[in-house]
Amino acid sequence: MAIKSFDRRSFIKNAGISAAAFPFLGNLDALALPGKSVQKQRMVIFFSPNGVVPESFWPNEDGENFLLKEILSPLEPFKKQTLVMNGVCDKVRGDGDNHMRGIGCLLTGVELLPGNVQGGSHTPAGWANGLSIDQEIKNHLQKADATRTRFGSLELGVLVPDRADTWTRMSYSGANKPITPIDDPYQLFSKLYGQAKDKEILGSVLDPVIADLKKISALVGKEDRKILEEHTGFVREMEKELRGLKVSQSHAMPKLDPGIREENDNLPKISRMQLDLLHNSLVADFNRIATFQFTNSVGGARMKWLGIDEGHHQLSHEPDTNKVAVEKLVKINKWFCEEIAYFAKKLSDTPEPNGQGSMLDNTLLVWTNELGKGNSHTLDNIPFVMVGGNLGWKAGRSVKFPRIAHNRLLMAMAHGFGHTISSFGNPEYCKDGPLVLS
Amino acid sequence: MKISYYRFLSNGLKASLFLLLLNTLQVGVALGAPDGKKIYETKCLSCHGQNGEGVKGKYNKPLSGDLTPNQLAKIIEETMPKEDPGTLPEASALAVSGYIHDAFYSSIARERNRPARIELSRLTVKQYRNSMMDLVGSFRPAAVSSDKTKGLRGEYFKTRNFNKGDLAESRIDAEVDFDFKEESPLPGKMEPAEFTLRWAGAIHAPETGYYEFIIQASHAVRLWVNDNNLPLVDAWVKSGKDTEYKGSIYLVSGRSYSLRLEFTKAKQGVNDNKKPKVVQPAFVKLLWKKPGGPVEICPGEYLSSATLPEMFVSSTPFPPDDGSLGWERGVTVSKEWDQATTAGALEVAKYVAGKLPEFAKTKDGDAQRTEKIEEFLKKFATRAFRRNLQNNENEIIKKVLKEFKEPQDGALRVLVWVLKSPNFLYRNEGQGSALASQLSYTLWDSIPDQQLLDAEASGKLKNAEGLNREIDRMLLDKRTNEKIRGFFHDILLLNQSHELNKDASRFPGFDPKLESDLRISLDKTIEEIFWEKDSSYQRLFLDQELFMNDRIAKFYQQNAASKKGFEKVSLDAGQRAGIVTHPYMLSMLSYSAESSPIHRGVFLARSLLGVTLKPPPEAAAPLAASLHPSLNTRERVALQTKGGACMTCHGTINSLGFTLERFDAVGRLREKDNAKLIDSNGWYVARDGKKVTLENASGLGRYLASSPDAHRAFTEHLFHHLLKQPTRAYGADTLEKMTLYFEKNSLNMRQLAAEMARMACTEKAGVKLQEVSKQP
Repeated sequence: MAIKSFDRRSFIKNAGISAAAFPFLGNLDALALPGKSVQKQRMVIFFSPNGVVPESFWPNEDGENFLLKEILSPLEPFKKQTLVMNGVCDKVRGDGDNHMRGIGCLLTGVELLPGNVQGGSHTPAGWANGLSIDQEIKNHLQKADATRTRFGSLELGVLVPDRADTWTRMSYSGANKPITPIDDPYQLFSKLYGQAKDKEILGSVLDPVIADLKKISALVGKEDRKILEEHTGFVREMEKELRGLKVSQSHAMPKLDPGIREENDNLPKISRMQLDLLHNSLVADFNRIATFQFTNSVGGARMKWLGIDEGHHQLSHEPDTNKVAVEKLVKINKWFCEEIAYFAKKLSDTPEPNGQGSMLDNTLLVWTNELGKGNSHTLDNIPFVMVGGNLGWKAGRSVKFPRIAHNRLLMAMAHGFGHTISSFGNPEYCKDGPLVLS
Repeated sequence: MKISYYRFLSNGLKASLFLLLLNTLQVGVALGAPDGKKIYETKCLSCHGQNGEGVKGKYNKPLSGDLTPNQLAKIIEETMPKEDPGTLPEASALAVSGYIHDAFYSSIARERNRPARIELSRLTVKQYRNSMMDLVGSFRPAAVSSDKTKGLRGEYFKTRNFNKGDLAESRIDAEVDFDFKEESPLPGKMEPAEFTLRWAGAIHAPETGYYEFIIQASHAVRLWVNDNNLPLVDAWVKSGKDTEYKGSIYLVSGRSYSLRLEFTKAKQGVNDNKKPKVVQPAFVKLLWKKPGGPVEICPGEYLSSATLPEMFVSSTPFPPDDGSLGWERGVTVSKEWDQATTAGALEVAKYVAGKLPEFAKTKDGDAQRTEKIEEFLKKFATRAFRRNLQNNENEIIKKVLKEFKEPQDGALRVLVWVLKSPNFLYRNEGQGSALASQLSYTLWDSIPDQQLLDAEASGKLKNAEGLNREIDRMLLDKRTNEKIRGFFHDILLLNQSHELNKDASRFPGFDPKLESDLRISLDKTIEEIFWEKDSSYQRLFLDQELFMNDRIAKFYQQNAASKKGFEKVSLDAGQRAGIVTHPYMLSMLSYSAESSPIHRGVFLARSLLGVTLKPPPEAAAPLAASLHPSLNTRERVALQTKGGACMTCHGTINSLGFTLERFDAVGRLREKDNAKLIDSNGWYVARDGKKVTLENASGLGRYLASSPDAHRAFTEHLFHHLLKQPTRAYGADTLEKMTLYFEKNSLNMRQLAAEMARMACTEKAGVKLQEVSKQP
């Protein structure tokens, strides 16, 4: 088998456990170290493509008295925990077109390397030249016993095309090291619960295996019976170990609907499966950081369930004067917002395990986008909407910044986690320090 | 305080595993040395019994333990005989301890003296990996084209696309090692600015382990190995200045795996054909680092243009098999082994369950889906167990599938059960397809294929004609090839990892790449001789030619070979002794600057002549050449080992090793060593007691080719390697009979292997198994 960064062998290696011990791992909580009394901090970054419709997105007001417009209306129940940031701009330039830089520099704050991926305009480019903020914070959290978790972070997606290029990758573990998001719920399930399932399977085959050993023992001579008796002893030992390893799971293993294929019309279904699994993973404290990427930069989902037959990207190119197209784009973006609201609700309905308040109180949800607006391909006013969290930011308001570099927001995220970096990405855009959001 | 001799002797520690070959041969004893056996019989037997079993009323405990002969001798010298301790001279004590140790005292002697039988064995690790691979592979189509065309299929496209219309040329490329600079790969047929290349075919794995593939390329590349969907290396997005990309994959030896490499100078994404083009220099090279090997251009020797289906490769680590008798046996189990079988079962079960539609030939929405999956699982279990399923086994499969809504969940459980079951894990040929399974594990180290199972079912294996037809077919299979290769690697000690670090000032140019080429050359020699029609054992030791490629030719001859690949070239005609004087063997059995007659002699005695040698009483570093400036190697070795105790073994070792003294530490012919003419004569005392004089390497080669001792040793090694049971388990005279068969059949090695396969199917084996199955 090929060694891939996501395969279980390398996980086992990283965890410092011999492969032979693998099937018997206490898994789950045994590896998710119990959090200390300090309140947990989590962050999930959501990505949707092709910009937004500004008139139906940005609140008119600046400050605590603001109205949520159509696209953001699903967040109404969480308005007091919502922070809408206007005026944050992706100022990173260099190789690649705006879509490529829109996704590639969004969380990295750094230029793309020269490469062979040619966009619709500008020069060709390759991968981003640095790691992304989710990975930076994950690395920080994994360094300390109190905040280290089994995975540290999860990189998830929904219907991400099966090709690796600048338009399909948002998280980077380092320069030139894009991370492939998991967009298959079954793959995610086996990453989260594979070991628990292995134990279930092993438990179920013990009886027939022992019966087989008995049967053969009866057929062979006395001398040969010895090796089979020894063998039976090991199987019995495994049985004991499996029984002894009753994991104190903080939640039951979820059940997935079988056979949901990765195709356009299943997007809503897959989105919920992924969100539910992510919720499970956060409850179990498998990870504190996640990215969640709907499709890809230039993504062309056809939201037929909203009565829209055209692809998202195609619609986003229509001029503002095409009212029908604009209306559809509002619907599309509102749909994304509903998914985030669904997740916010799930978290707010879950009391913080071993802590205070709800999980939403301790989980910052960030919804962002590759572009400010689709038909202009602008990287100004990149949507940044925050819900929940405990990074010390003042929520329940709309803020209008004077065209500041988004690197400063990325820095503020790190600082919110107590990771006081002095710059992130291209230092040129970090001179004014992290955004002050308290 | 003196520890009592009796306590010492009976305090046998647990059997330590001497890595000695089990053999009843006695060491040639230096002339004039006391006869241990005689001393034992006159002075010890009355109390200790004929075979050290003890005598009631005298000393009734058996003599057995783990002391070395020297430790034993010291105690004997000080405490024996009981009525008159201290009267036995040192040499006599040594002789008697040597005799006791060999005859019944040591763990190896005890093992040897146990009545032999065919032991119930689990699959060895090699057999397990092969079985897994063939089991899964049996549900896939066979290879499309033959492996025989060396080199990869190269396709040269003019544009960024792999369209037929853009194909400028299709050809075979021996290796991927191209530096196009700013030129077109095919001037006149395609432009230098933009082109796309693809190489496809197969790669043969000569070792089991992790292979690192390395691509050096100026532009975008990707590489698939075995898995045709998931690239092992994906740098199709060219990004930044990197020009080297790596990926590792675990491969099992003796098999070929599909390989595809793509390279493009073009951009991806939006087509920018209309922009003006700047020609950048281009290069692409495919390198690898095989287990224990150097980083080198992936050798054409291992590339072929075959089209292969994906193989399942089990990479679960296993503890090594018991090799204490000199060959791998599956006669012990351990917790680590049991855990490995669990991990291995899960690994293959998930792989198969994840591809159920392919294996069960069904898809979602198929009305017959569950039935087809049930059928598939039954077939899978049948092939894994190497016999027809019993009723209750069919029931288990049916029942488990019914329990789960998703057949995949049920399938996972059935698969794990089958692969954890002793019916799969043990060579339990007592039931059902005994002959097919015996044959396939003897010749292939793997499960029988369908044709073999069919032959058994129709009773064809019961008559000589049908049996021979199957054996002949099986011999031509690459799995037999691999098993035979493993046999030679065992006897030539190639399985132990060697790094031939040679003194760079004495042997400039002897580097890991040359070392790797020499191993290929040795492998090719063995393969050629074994698989030619005569399969002549004698040729192994009489051949005067060497497979050389460019690098080998440059080092061993002044003139370079013309071709890039390997070809046979005569080397030092009349002076060589086939594989014994192959430069790889001679280099391996040498120090970094000097030859080592001792290593060479031990190899010749143990591996080729079947002499049992005890480990040296104490580890001794060789005398440094610089401390004895007037001596050459032979003289130094003779000086160091001249003591009486040394000569018991070194009499044999040195006199064999000296015959190769005309070859230096890298296997080059020399006239002088340390400015002195070399004496390369030696001798050997055969089992029949006759002393044979050996003149030079060629004399040695002629002797090995014709010596009954060597024929017997070869036969025994091959038997152990193929059947993995002691020869005596098949009858006390099996070894003699087999050796006779070998000699009567012009020393044809392949015929000997076929005879052994027949032996695996004989009455003897069958009777035993029938008796077994009658027991309650």
